Amino acid sequence: MFEAMGVHGPTLSPFASLVLDIVLLASAFWLLAKPTKRPLMDSLFLATLVLSVSFLRVIMQPLPNVQPVTVAALLVGAQLGARRGAAFAVLVAMISNFFMGDGWWTVFQAAGWASVAVAGSQLTLMTPSGLDLRKAIFASLAAAVWFDLIVSFSILDGTIGFTDFITYLVHGIPFDLLHMASNLVFVVWLGGWFSGLLEEQPTLEEIEFAVVNGHGIDG
Amino acid sequence: MFQRLIAFFLLSIMLLPLVSADQEASSWNQENSLAWEYDLGTGYISTSPVFVDDKIIVRTSGNSEPSVTALELDGTLAWSHSNLFSKNNDMSPLLTVNAGEGACGTWPDLVLVGWTNGVIDALHPSNGSVFWSAQTEVAGWGITGAAGVSQDHVIYPTRRGVGQFCLADGSQEWWAETGLGWRNGVSLYDGSIYSGDELGTLWQIDLNGNSTPLATFEGKIRHAPLMTSAGLLVHVQSSMDSTVYILDPNSGEERQQIPAGPSPAIPVLNGQYAVVSDSMDLRMMKCDAMCKVVSQIPFHSNGEIGWHNQGHLIAPHNTPDSDWGSFVLDGSQNLTLEFIDTGISGYGTAAPLWFSSNGVDYTVFGNDQSLLRVYQSNYSEEIEITKDTDWATQGFVFTAYVLLASSAAFLLNGRKDLFLRTSSLLMVLVLLMILPDLSQVWSEAVDQALPEPSTSEAWDEQWPDSWLGTQVVIFEINGMETAVGGLVGYENVFTVTKAAADEAGISLTAEQTGIGMYISSIGGVEGDGWEYDLDGSKGRLSADNTVIESSSIVRWTPV
Repeated sequence: MFEAMGVHGPTLSPFASLVLDIVLLASAFWLLAKPTKRPLMDSLFLATLVLSVSFLRVIMQPLPNVQPVTVAALLVGAQLGARRGAAFAVLVAMISNFFMGDGWWTVFQAAGWASVAVAGSQLTLMTPSGLDLRKAIFASLAAAVWFDLIVSFSILDGTIGFTDFITYLVHGIPFDLLHMASNLVFVVWLGGWFSGLLEEQPTLEEIEFAVVNGHGIDG
Repeated sequence: MFQRLIAFFLLSIMLLPLVSADQEASSWNQENSLAWEYDLGTGYISTSPVFVDDKIIVRTSGNSEPSVTALELDGTLAWSHSNLFSKNNDMSPLLTVNAGEGACGTWPDLVLVGWTNGVIDALHPSNGSVFWSAQTEVAGWGITGAAGVSQDHVIYPTRRGVGQFCLADGSQEWWAETGLGWRNGVSLYDGSIYSGDELGTLWQIDLNGNSTPLATFEGKIRHAPLMTSAGLLVHVQSSMDSTVYILDPNSGEERQQIPAGPSPAIPVLNGQYAVVSDSMDLRMMKCDAMCKVVSQIPFHSNGEIGWHNQGHLIAPHNTPDSDWGSFVLDGSQNLTLEFIDTGISGYGTAAPLWFSSNGVDYTVFGNDQSLLRVYQSNYSEEIEITKDTDWATQGFVFTAYVLLASSAAFLLNGRKDLFLRTSSLLMVLVLLMILPDLSQVWSEAVDQALPEPSTSEAWDEQWPDSWLGTQVVIFEINGMETAVGGLVGYENVFTVTKAAADEAGISLTAEQTGIGMYISSIGGVEGDGWEYDLDGSKGRLSADNTVIESSSIVRWTPV
């Protein structure tokens, strides 16, 4: 509802925008930080993922509330865990908004998608045979509503009362429906493929370790 | 079995266009053909053209050169008369007067034009030259209502009163003070003149210029009252809806009340039948001892209603991408509606003009697109009207049908996964296609159901008093405020913003999007876009989809 309505809450000064970007970036790095060094391919893969989804969001801008980020955040959270899912959400919000318009709302979008990713990590959407489509469909529909609600809070700049806010939310229901429907499309068309893409393959060292370990047990 | 039923339902939907194909060309369109069209350049045609001296005469305004233009029957330009000082939307209907003679002198055939800068021009219809011109009061704006003729005089409503002028030389014989008015047309019945104002007062003025308040309502009266057999009909507009009152014409005592929708149109009367309309419905009433609604049809019309004959009306549907509605009253007193495709769909408030010449019936349409289209009946030559094909929409529709058929086929074959894919994609396509209309209808419904926003834009004491009761637009550009007021008659945030920008010499860039007009830059400043507040509340819809009141304050700020 938020994006389509074009109402974006308080205007930030250039300094406030800079602080906001630094905080978001720092939170993404903090989420990605690990005591052990992450393989280069892992980092490259995540970077490619962030850039691709951001690019898709930018080029799908003419279609109101039709974008792949919500479903992508859900599935990244499900496959790569809450921390990497949240980092993915923050980075996508920042990069795509660099082209589509940065501001106060970026915080709420990042928070909305990060919370979706965290929810994705907790919902056991993945089964041994792959994505649980039924569960993923319901999760993606709920994620659309949840994300739109979180982002709508960005209009609360001190001048809008509770009744006005409710009115604002109700006005946005057609756009929420479109977000839900587009999420459904992304899940049923690309959910299985995308979650498969995210599935972590064991490295050669991990395979060797498992084989040796297995023989050791046999012996 | 259940799957087969759903598949049958989906396939049935595919056949709907075949049924509606027959309905696409209305009976009116089948009986009339486009004769010619004339592009008037810029500006709005806000009121009906007139036919006099074998010429179609039409007025345009809301641009840099408000004009009255006369066209020959073959579509060639006969003459044009401009008033560069009439800056607001001119909506006082053109008035034709036959040549005559009276106590104050003689006059030829005339076309009378009332302008928003208070000028009344009496033009020769043959060549557009000025026979006489009179200046009336200006308080922010001048004449916006319909005038009336009484023997050798014309009665014109001004902003704060009503004046009588001699048809022979334009001299003012009297002026009677009433209240602040807008679109405050006058009507004359039995030696009395009636006119309403923005404070809801209905005034009665005698032919010597003595005015007395006859009745007061909560709301605004923006049309010439109508005298029905049941009494004086007044359609009073309030903020969320309106009420049709039937009154005793002498005492002002209320006889009847009929609730109606918001933003009423100008009611019309033909014999026993009166027609009122608003943003929700068009109602036909039969008035004898009482007025009774005999037929009601959902229709959005806020301007003039054209009455062709006893049983046939045409009214502009005042929404984006809309056309005119043709209403026919059948023997059972039921109105039926069909839309006329004039090829100039869009906002409109002007009723069409009908006339006959050399045995041919003509109908003339004009709206906010400043394009005049003349249709004629029984036209033997086939005229090909070329229309640009909207390939994007065609592609959307084609894809939707493919998806619909695929969904049905997959469902019948038990391929639920593929059915889910195609049907979900179909759902998104349909939602995308209907979203602009859906969101507008939804927002209108929400606005009616939920309370008004609690905030309001404060009146700036530095603004001139003449801006009171008018539309004001404020631009915040690079930290500086520019306010333009005294604007009148604009229907939505976009049109009033455009008028204000023109008046202040501020450049405005706008683009049409799927959900309405998007203002991308004001005064050369793009920033991250622009947003507006209407009367202190944030705009929720695109500027062209937000209807404004006559005394609204619009504030534009960069994001």
